[in-house]
Amino acid sequence: MNFLEGLINYIAETYTDRLNYFPSNVKTSLLIILFCVIATLEMYIYITFRRLSQANEKRQLDKWNEHVSNMLANLIIFDEADKTEDIVAHFYPKMKKWPLRNKVLNKVLISEILTYHKSFTGQIGEVLSILYRKLGLDKKSKKKINSRNWEVKIEGIREANEMRISEMAAEIIKYTDDENALLRMESQAAYINLSENNPFHFLDRAQERILDWHQVVLFEIITKNKALKIPSFSQWLRSPNDTVVMLCLKLVEHFMQFEAAEEVERLLKHHNPRIVKKSVEIIGKLELASAETSMFEIYFDQPEDVKLEILNSLGKISSGSYENFLMSRIYSGNVKIKKEALYAIKRDQHQGEEKLRELYQQTTVENQALINHVLDSRIKP
Amino acid sequence: MDEFLATFETFFNNAVFYYALFVMGSYVALALLSAVEMNGYMKKNSYVSYREILVSPLAPPVSILAPAYNEEATIVENIRSLLSLHYGNYEVVIINDGSKDNTFQKMFDFYHLERVDFAVDYQIPCNEIRGVYKSKLPSFAKLTVVDKVNGGKSDALNAGINVSSKGLILCIDVDCIVQEDAILKLAKPYLEEKHMVIATGGVVRIANSCKVEDGKLVEVNMPRNIWPRFQVLEYIRAFLMGRMAWSRLNGLLIISGAMGLFDKRTVIEVGGYDHSTVGEDMELVVRMRRYMHEQDRRYAVVYIPDPLCWTEAPADLQILGRQRNRWTRGTIETLLKHKDLFFNPRYGILGMLSYPYWLFFEWLAPIIEFLGLSIFIILAVTGHINWEFSSILICMVYFFSVALSTVAVLFEEMSYQQYTKGKDLVKLLIAAFLEPLLYHPLTVYWAIKGNIHKFTGKNTWGVMTRKGFSNTKTSELTDQTTT
Repeated sequence: MNFLEGLINYIAETYTDRLNYFPSNVKTSLLIILFCVIATLEMYIYITFRRLSQANEKRQLDKWNEHVSNMLANLIIFDEADKTEDIVAHFYPKMKKWPLRNKVLNKVLISEILTYHKSFTGQIGEVLSILYRKLGLDKKSKKKINSRNWEVKIEGIREANEMRISEMAAEIIKYTDDENALLRMESQAAYINLSENNPFHFLDRAQERILDWHQVVLFEIITKNKALKIPSFSQWLRSPNDTVVMLCLKLVEHFMQFEAAEEVERLLKHHNPRIVKKSVEIIGKLELASAETSMFEIYFDQPEDVKLEILNSLGKISSGSYENFLMSRIYSGNVKIKKEALYAIKRDQHQGEEKLRELYQQTTVENQALINHVLDSRIKP
Repeated sequence: MDEFLATFETFFNNAVFYYALFVMGSYVALALLSAVEMNGYMKKNSYVSYREILVSPLAPPVSILAPAYNEEATIVENIRSLLSLHYGNYEVVIINDGSKDNTFQKMFDFYHLERVDFAVDYQIPCNEIRGVYKSKLPSFAKLTVVDKVNGGKSDALNAGINVSSKGLILCIDVDCIVQEDAILKLAKPYLEEKHMVIATGGVVRIANSCKVEDGKLVEVNMPRNIWPRFQVLEYIRAFLMGRMAWSRLNGLLIISGAMGLFDKRTVIEVGGYDHSTVGEDMELVVRMRRYMHEQDRRYAVVYIPDPLCWTEAPADLQILGRQRNRWTRGTIETLLKHKDLFFNPRYGILGMLSYPYWLFFEWLAPIIEFLGLSIFIILAVTGHINWEFSSILICMVYFFSVALSTVAVLFEEMSYQQYTKGKDLVKLLIAAFLEPLLYHPLTVYWAIKGNIHKFTGKNTWGVMTRKGFSNTKTSELTDQTTT
């Protein structure tokens, strides 16, 4: 006990009476110690309170989750013969009694309605949409969309998108070319779903990049939405924004839009090698024999990956016009080029494999190994 | 003599004080940078739905490369776990690096392998590949097994690169527990960065005492053994604080060997993994970065704070010592090999900041610490120590260290909060108090030993055997690591 008392007295004296008499380095060290001790204690207190508050929030979430889930579960098992208005009239007063100003309840209610709306279409989806509006949640979404904070805007856009509140498309279009990439993507995704007349209008005005990641998201939305009227994407293949061209090329490929053939062939001379490569890939996939000559003409000026793609496309087209060219490529110094040329020869459905077997008899040992590789169907190219 | 010793003591006190201030200042700067980066990442990714990339045909194709050496106990389970990851477009390439046990036979039998006529394009050097195997069963079509002559981890990865067919390569330790969405998260930066991404890495976590079911982590627990527990704290500090900050600066020098996703073309252009170093993971990243600078190409090395990979940490001090010894030698080898980067403005952040930091704080810090301690003992024995000042200095370093570890725990709490049980949190906070006293001196000792081994030519990899998770359906990773 004496030792502890002595220690406490020493510390107290050090930080009071003696502090000013220490040299500057000792003084600094003492202040750093004091700062670290206080900071550590504060962090401990913060972590403890945070855990307690999390536990409290979880309790509230669990409680409201149970209420809301029960209510929505009853809603989905409602008799199908009942009219939509009757179902709404049954549930609305009950929901209205909830303390909707409670943040936790609000969060749970919106999240659950959104989840159910995503899972159910038809009458249940309609009931949920009506309830969403009657409870004033659509106004809250609109308010969020016009918030200053980009995270809140995204939240509102997602809600509007999920609940298919089409009148909000006009509010959302302004964000489709926003500097903030996340906000931009969410707006574009929502606009496609919400705009009734011109869902691809944002492509006309897109000046900011549509990142590859966003292209993946938009591609999924466009290709999965059966209700969407798909335009000819060739109209955007002359866009000054390379990322718009890239996205549209992917869509041209997916929807097999043959009417875009001429524009795609023109893109073989594009300054961006990624666009050239994608165009070549589409030419192969659409088997546009008319573009073979253009591909051959650009072949020798291209980087390796575009060359490989050209060989691949020539193989897919297999018109026979460039058979000698493909044969000549198997004597290239580049193994990848050789392999791709061999695969291209093999792609000729009628004689491909036979040609390779003939070639096997006449070629080098290295090429023989490559031919064996290409002929082995267990190895995917 | 006394006058000299007194002058030396003053000099020594000041040197230690200012060095400590410098080190602490740099840690505070890194913590602040890390907080900014982490906050940005968490905000940005709370709105991301990974579902799109999972099913999309536009997702970048990935080859998982996992070298296996004497892994017969767990190889079948490990492969099964890799084959069940959530991603649409990937292949798994297991490289049997001349195992002396039944690793290859186990794979051969369980996965119904058969040899294929694979013509290997040796784009980067590696030992002879004896054969490439595919499964006869369509359900394992993603799997390719490479059987090769033993050449070490780097050599095995190079062989895997030569056989892989996709544009991105995920190099992992085969015995790691990989989170199901790991590839999705690692691949995302390749689709969204302005500049070309050459590598991405994620947080590696400690799996000791965690519950594992069918090769998947189902319950996170704090290790029961004290040594892995210290490593939990150490990893949180290093990954969530250190590497996030370096990622912010685009100055990362290391992507953990346990899991890293690389741009294959760049890896091939730089010549693949270096066989001559035991720190192949760091060396590769440094070489890729310097290559990009030399080519005048803009690039990024991205770090993701998500816990993507769980590994078994050594619980045995001898094995832990060997691991740290190897890490030290790896760091020295990389730094010496690329010594021309030191304060070389041509290499930007890499030369002016990352390299000097690693030199002063990763390589030289334990040596300086050891020298400081030795001089302190000499001065104490000769009676030339100002005990009060020395005690205050030691206290400053100790409390700073505790505060820094507590900040790391706070980061963890505010981000992923993996340790949800209150008692686990308490254990972690207690570890923060004990670590500077019990664990840190050992890490210094191992680092010194690593330096001695490096400069006396003892450059072995060292045995690093893990207990692993058993073949039972549900198991708990024990804290016992066997030699």
